[in-house]
Amino acid sequence: MLFPTYLSFLCLTSWILTTVATNASQDGKVREFFGRHDGTSGHTNNWAVLVCASRYWFNYRHMANALGMYRTVKRLGIPDSNIILMLADDVACNTRNKFPGSVYANSGRNLDLYGDNIEVDYRGYEVTVENFIRVLTGRMDASVPRSKRLLTDDRSNIFVYMTGHGGNEFLKFQDNEEISAFDIADAFEQMWQKKRYNEIFFMIDTCQANTMYSQFYSPNILATGSSEIGENSYSYENDNDIGVAVIDSYTHYILQFMEGINKTSQTTMHDLFASYDPSKIHSHPGVRADLFHRTLDKALITDFFGGVSQAEIFPPEDAYPGMQSPSVKPGDTMIDSRIPSTNGSQLSSPTTQGRMFTTLEMDSSWPISLRKWGSMTLVGMLVAWVSLKS
Amino acid sequence: MASSRERERFDEDLHIRPLRDGKVASTFSFTTLLQDASPRDPLSLAYDDESQHYTLFPLALGQILRTYAITELHLALNAGKWRYESWGFPEEPGVGTGAELWAWMGDGASTTIDERWQGLRNALAGLFCASLGSMDDQRTTSPFLTFTPEGSLPNATLPYRLRHATLPSEHVCTENLTPFLKLLPCKSLSGLARLLNPHRLFDADWHGMSVHVTWREGQGVEVRLIFQTVIDPIRNSGGKRRDWSFESLFGRVVENRCPVATTSRVRIQLPSEETYAILPDPTSNADNIATYDTSVGQDPLDVSMRWPEEYAFQYQITALDLPEIPLTPLTLQRTLIGSSQAQGQLSIVIQNTLSSQIQTIYLETMPWLVQLYIHTLQIHCNGVQRNDLISNLSYTPSVPHARPAILQSVLTLPPKSTLRLTFDITKSFLRYTEHPPDAQRGWDLPPAVFVPIISVGNRSDVLPRLYTPTLLVDLATPDFSMPYNVIILSCTLMTLIFGSIFNLLTRKFVIVDLKQGKEQKGS
Repeated sequence: MLFPTYLSFLCLTSWILTTVATNASQDGKVREFFGRHDGTSGHTNNWAVLVCASRYWFNYRHMANALGMYRTVKRLGIPDSNIILMLADDVACNTRNKFPGSVYANSGRNLDLYGDNIEVDYRGYEVTVENFIRVLTGRMDASVPRSKRLLTDDRSNIFVYMTGHGGNEFLKFQDNEEISAFDIADAFEQMWQKKRYNEIFFMIDTCQANTMYSQFYSPNILATGSSEIGENSYSYENDNDIGVAVIDSYTHYILQFMEGINKTSQTTMHDLFASYDPSKIHSHPGVRADLFHRTLDKALITDFFGGVSQAEIFPPEDAYPGMQSPSVKPGDTMIDSRIPSTNGSQLSSPTTQGRMFTTLEMDSSWPISLRKWGSMTLVGMLVAWVSLKS
Repeated sequence: MASSRERERFDEDLHIRPLRDGKVASTFSFTTLLQDASPRDPLSLAYDDESQHYTLFPLALGQILRTYAITELHLALNAGKWRYESWGFPEEPGVGTGAELWAWMGDGASTTIDERWQGLRNALAGLFCASLGSMDDQRTTSPFLTFTPEGSLPNATLPYRLRHATLPSEHVCTENLTPFLKLLPCKSLSGLARLLNPHRLFDADWHGMSVHVTWREGQGVEVRLIFQTVIDPIRNSGGKRRDWSFESLFGRVVENRCPVATTSRVRIQLPSEETYAILPDPTSNADNIATYDTSVGQDPLDVSMRWPEEYAFQYQITALDLPEIPLTPLTLQRTLIGSSQAQGQLSIVIQNTLSSQIQTIYLETMPWLVQLYIHTLQIHCNGVQRNDLISNLSYTPSVPHARPAILQSVLTLPPKSTLRLTFDITKSFLRYTEHPPDAQRGWDLPPAVFVPIISVGNRSDVLPRLYTPTLLVDLATPDFSMPYNVIILSCTLMTLIFGSIFNLLTRKFVIVDLKQGKEQKGS
């Protein structure tokens, strides 16, 4: 009775080997495709949560901060449906505003940040700590409309920007309540557990802002703030016709840096942080990158601020030699790009992508059928052995 | 009802009339008619809806209407105070400051009216970027005598219910105009909607946008998007002239025609007794209204009106014995009297400017934070107490933290008389967590609504609704820093007291002999 046991053992080992080999070959191809750039974030969509937590006319500059960031992320490609903008007060149509319907971030009034096409999702009394945490964690009443929800998944990069009055590990909401650094850290952890983000970039412009990110403990978070503990963040300039300060220093220099960025830019987060000049900003901005898994010189600005996607097109024959997909016709033009194109170009032919997927399937078909037949013979022999034995 | 048989029709209209205090009132009206359609039957809410295909009818709004089976919907977002005495009646009567939402819905569905109402206001809040979600039970009433359906109600066997709520403190800004324009077929790119420039509209002395969905029997479901403004050309002109043009009012001209509009016209009300010049020449001129049809002609349309013989506009300074001819039959004034933060009086002064008796429906919605005492109601007519002038009083008192008070009544106004109603009110002392973040500002009270009814012989003419301005009530606010101080102080006191007494009761001082301990250790 030794022969059937040896045979079954042989079949079993060969089956295992083919399985492992198949997976390994598939894994290798997938890893090679997605890991072509080491240091990509692997995100497929971008979201932004921009919060201005202060109310009253004299906090015009906080509204302008948030609106400046809104304009930047919209310009770089994040659509309104992916932006949650929370403004605690209405300055554009405030009766004190000499320029109705407009919000300016510099004293020359060159650029109107409010524009003609703006959607504010949470306004006035709706900007509360509870609503902010509900937006982040996604725990909302069923009646909350879609435009007020953060519908992110595990491949979303989120840019969270907060501005207002704050202090050591807290931020004031509307001069009425406050959110602490622990609350935000726990909210981010909830998001991580529920797979609601791929990477988060947290930026905060308040007094003693760097303390707000000191309590984070979830992975894939990159954080930056405008001032150290014990330091104030200052406004940049006043406008004599509007009558109040119109922008904060830190945000002003960030926006100035961003004006040089467009959708195809390859500028990295390292460049952004290197542009910080404490003598101009009048406070010491900080960066926290220990929870961030990539190096900062590989993380692009458009990974967080923009809605651009990296796409590559390469012809199916060169990728999978010896395999001709039946849908390839002789007269088709193929784009020969061995060198991956990383300048944000859109896919030029959707059929190319379809062809790539079909070749992947056909490529790995022979180990699968071998495995199928091998396992069936093994089972058949085991059954025969058992029946003979009994 | 098969969707393929529905045809859609889009019309746009702009009506401009110069007002007697030099300002210019303009009303943009965009009407989309979904022919042969009817609102969704509430009884079908338990099942999936059949798919709707629209070309011109706004899809976002249509989906909301069908999800909650709304028959009639009116939403208004207004800012400013409408001056009836200078401006007369508006084209669209809903001019109460802030947000006002009312809807007629058929009852009997699988979900209750209140659940559908909550879903409706949250969906509209998301669509129009307004905080309509806070129009909860504490602000919702059902004043069915005042807010009667403007269209028809399809199913005569179903009971229809009204839900009405106001948010007087709501701001209106570009973020409300953006989705409004996106509901139009041509957006703001062509047609008359090109003139809707937010930088000029929100500079106006009064502006309001509204959405009206009604069902017209025999025609279909009609959506009217209205934008009304009152703009002051004198303020922006250097020489105090009231000449205006599209460029000076809106900062834009009508460049292209909206290709899907069946009719697109501009109607200008011409002044009757003044010398004026209007350019360009209107397409037709009848009944003191000049009409411009924008489908005729290729040039951009910029209508302008000048008063060449006027050097500067003269505001009419009325002498006490020669008052201006009133533009509305009623002149209203509503105030809160009293300086205490605990009680006061609500005073309403109504003046009947006609020389015949008129009746008016009076609706007062008072949030629960201001309690009315109806037994203190007093009516004085020209100084004489006349409590008989009020009739058909229907009063639902408020329930604190739950429901507002609603008072509906009919007032009879003798000719050329001034009526003064007063009630006593008490102001609540709110819980510490109920105060808004800017508690020192106070609370806005919703406007009162008057519906004048003029009876001539057997015929009764119901005039459009009149809104009083909103009021601001100052409630007592606590010192918001005190809870922390109180907790710290009292906890400290309690700890000291408890600690001392506990030690006194349980601590025992015992003398320990050290020599005895050393002997034991040694052995």
